[in-house]
Amino acid sequence: MSLDRAAWSWTEHLRHGGTTTWAAWVAAARDRDVAVPAGWHPPGAAQLELVRRLADRPAARPLLAAGTFHRLADLVLQRSAPGRGMAPAPLAWPAPATLGPGFGAPPADPVDVPRAELVRVGVGVLAELLVRSPGAPAAARLPRRRPLSRPFQLCGAPVTTDAVRRSLAVAGQVAGGRPPQVVLLAEPLDEALAQVWSARVQDGVPVRWRGFLDRWARRAARGELPPSVDYPALAALWAAQVGPERVHVVAAPPDLATAVSTVATALGLPPARGRRRRCPAPQWQPLSAEGVDVLRRVGAVLGVRVAEPEHRRAVRRLAGLLAQQRPRRLAVPEEHRPWVARCAAEVAAALREGGYAVHGDLERLAQLRAGVPTGPRAGAELGLVLDGCARLAAQELVGEAEPR
Amino acid sequence: MSDAGTGRTVTGRTVLVHVGAPKTGTSFVQDVLWLNRETLAEQGVLYPADRFDEHFLAALDLMDLPWGGLERQAVGAWDRLAERVRGWTGTVIVSHEILAIASRQQVRRALDSFGECEVHVVLSARDLARQIPAEWQENVKHRRTLGYRRFLDSITDPARTGELASWFWGVQEVPDILDRWGGRLPPGHVHLVTVPKPGAPRDLLWRRFASVLGLDPDALAPETDRSNPSLGVPETALVRRLNQRVNHGVLVGDDYRLFVRELLAHRTLSRRVGSPRLEVPPDVRRWAGDLSDSWIGTLATRGYDVVGTLEDLRPDPVGGAEGFTDPDRPDEAAVADAATDALVALLEEVTRLHESQRRLEVEVESLHVELERSRSLWFRFKRRVVLVAGEHRTVALALGVYRSLRGRSSRSA
Repeated sequence: MSLDRAAWSWTEHLRHGGTTTWAAWVAAARDRDVAVPAGWHPPGAAQLELVRRLADRPAARPLLAAGTFHRLADLVLQRSAPGRGMAPAPLAWPAPATLGPGFGAPPADPVDVPRAELVRVGVGVLAELLVRSPGAPAAARLPRRRPLSRPFQLCGAPVTTDAVRRSLAVAGQVAGGRPPQVVLLAEPLDEALAQVWSARVQDGVPVRWRGFLDRWARRAARGELPPSVDYPALAALWAAQVGPERVHVVAAPPDLATAVSTVATALGLPPARGRRRRCPAPQWQPLSAEGVDVLRRVGAVLGVRVAEPEHRRAVRRLAGLLAQQRPRRLAVPEEHRPWVARCAAEVAAALREGGYAVHGDLERLAQLRAGVPTGPRAGAELGLVLDGCARLAAQELVGEAEPR
Repeated sequence: MSDAGTGRTVTGRTVLVHVGAPKTGTSFVQDVLWLNRETLAEQGVLYPADRFDEHFLAALDLMDLPWGGLERQAVGAWDRLAERVRGWTGTVIVSHEILAIASRQQVRRALDSFGECEVHVVLSARDLARQIPAEWQENVKHRRTLGYRRFLDSITDPARTGELASWFWGVQEVPDILDRWGGRLPPGHVHLVTVPKPGAPRDLLWRRFASVLGLDPDALAPETDRSNPSLGVPETALVRRLNQRVNHGVLVGDDYRLFVRELLAHRTLSRRVGSPRLEVPPDVRRWAGDLSDSWIGTLATRGYDVVGTLEDLRPDPVGGAEGFTDPDRPDEAAVADAATDALVALLEEVTRLHESQRRLEVEVESLHVELERSRSLWFRFKRRVVLVAGEHRTVALALGVYRSLRGRSSRSA
């Protein structure tokens, strides 16, 4: 038994959807009769392990059923992981060990490859699939407003505001018109910051959660907050234009349905009538922390692969794929809690003093979450990456319909 | 083209790919090639670059390597470079030190992209006892805050876990780099240029480079002062401490590059004299010596074209006359002295920028006055109507009707 023959036969096994581990493959010694093509070099342990894990995902079933899994596998095996990380590790070979060359990355059993490395390989595959097909340009506009419909504007935490604006538009109530009634959708400040981070990443800026908070911590010390969640400034700006009596604050809605109904009630919007209207995809998708982080990593790689507008289209396509109805909430890390808590209390106090109509409890704006993760989890990221690869490949290689 | 250094004869289309390693005079060579690219082209040698960092961008593109936002300028850079390589009928030189870390797949893509031609790979290498502190210093100049001992522990750990050790060995492990880049080439097409020991003639390295690149070392007498300057122990300790203070949201990438790396590190601190130099501690020197022995043994059997001598890669058994100075515990007075020089440089820069700002403010003010004068009464009336429309629904409706009649598609924000 030779390393090359075992590696070749195992690679072929994986290319066709096999899920046997390297150790089990070697122990079974199934490679006696295979011929290794001249000049073939085994892929890295991380690439091989990613293919093995892909075959195990339910999202890969359409590829396996269509007999096209090997095309996704080849995409993984023929590409190096993007960015910085560990060097591609050669496959470990059991005793009696053949001494390696004495240099190069240490050999590894693929099941022992760190998850972060598997994520890195998967991010490269996602980027490659998106480069090949970045998706259609986003339709930018909401439907036209109906004549004489009630004028209103929404502002506030970006993901919530976008979702509410879209829900109302689907029901026939399109924001706009003058002079508007204004609804400020105020999420608790930690959630609001997480939404701004998500929106920044979805706009193609590959900033990390902690890096994002580090920057705003310094700006908050100068009294600044991200413009879309600087609620007192937004409310004051609109109050100066339309009067404080036309500004409503919806504080910390527990979910989207409640947010939509509260906004509709505050504005006195009539109930939806007739058929629902078509809307473009959301500007910002609801993503989990891991979803945002995967998008950030892929966005960074896409930055070196494609220029605008393909970059924006590709990021949006992936965001749509990673979107979740109820994404897991994210808390701010311990070192950032003091300034976020201070700002949140100041925000709640300023809104209270502004004389606006408040719907909900302003106290909740200052209640920061505890007991939830303060950053993306590597295990969950790997799951998203694997499913993202399988689903994108299924759309490209099998023609599966894209989720709306 | 005849090569004096190697005696090889090259006919037809030839591509020389200089893949590193970092800290072996690569910036200097690239500058000579950049400054003399027109002269070289007249002699049939192409250095395909319209900007000095073009090969760096191409390398980022080849390896899908994000680099603090610079990668956005790198989209398609490798394919453009390869196209120019394929379109040239003589000799082409491609050079960047981060190419050293390319994987086998990336090397294959790179070499295939050159089309039908004779490829030569060039790697310049220096002994590990000088490369290790140089790499740590380079890390510090790229915002890292890792202490020297932790850096040493990381790279001497055989497991090589972590990004830092992987990068270090990816760009410094000579036999492995040559394996990846030269594995598909005849050994005679793989050229290892060794950096001479301290005390060698000043232009010897340049002559070695020139010989393997097929250049006339005297005709292209280097006039460049561009190099990657090094810092002493207190200066490096100072930059590391600065990193600890500016890394968390204080300075973004471009500002860091401009003010810390360029202004402070390269233009101020690297010019200080008399500071102890960075070295490896005795235990790491011994370890590096043993490792280098094994490398030299391996390389001697490979049949590569060695320009210089493999003995250059063997670290001296003892360091410089000053002995090892630990940058994790620097002389605080020396660090304070370096910090004072840094403050002076920054004050000079602040003064210069302040003057520039004052000049621009005056200019903007006068432009505003001119613009206001040139605006017509009709424009001012329209602006007033738009403002009033924000407060009165009737005016807003009238404005909407006017706009729809006029056919304007946009709305006021």
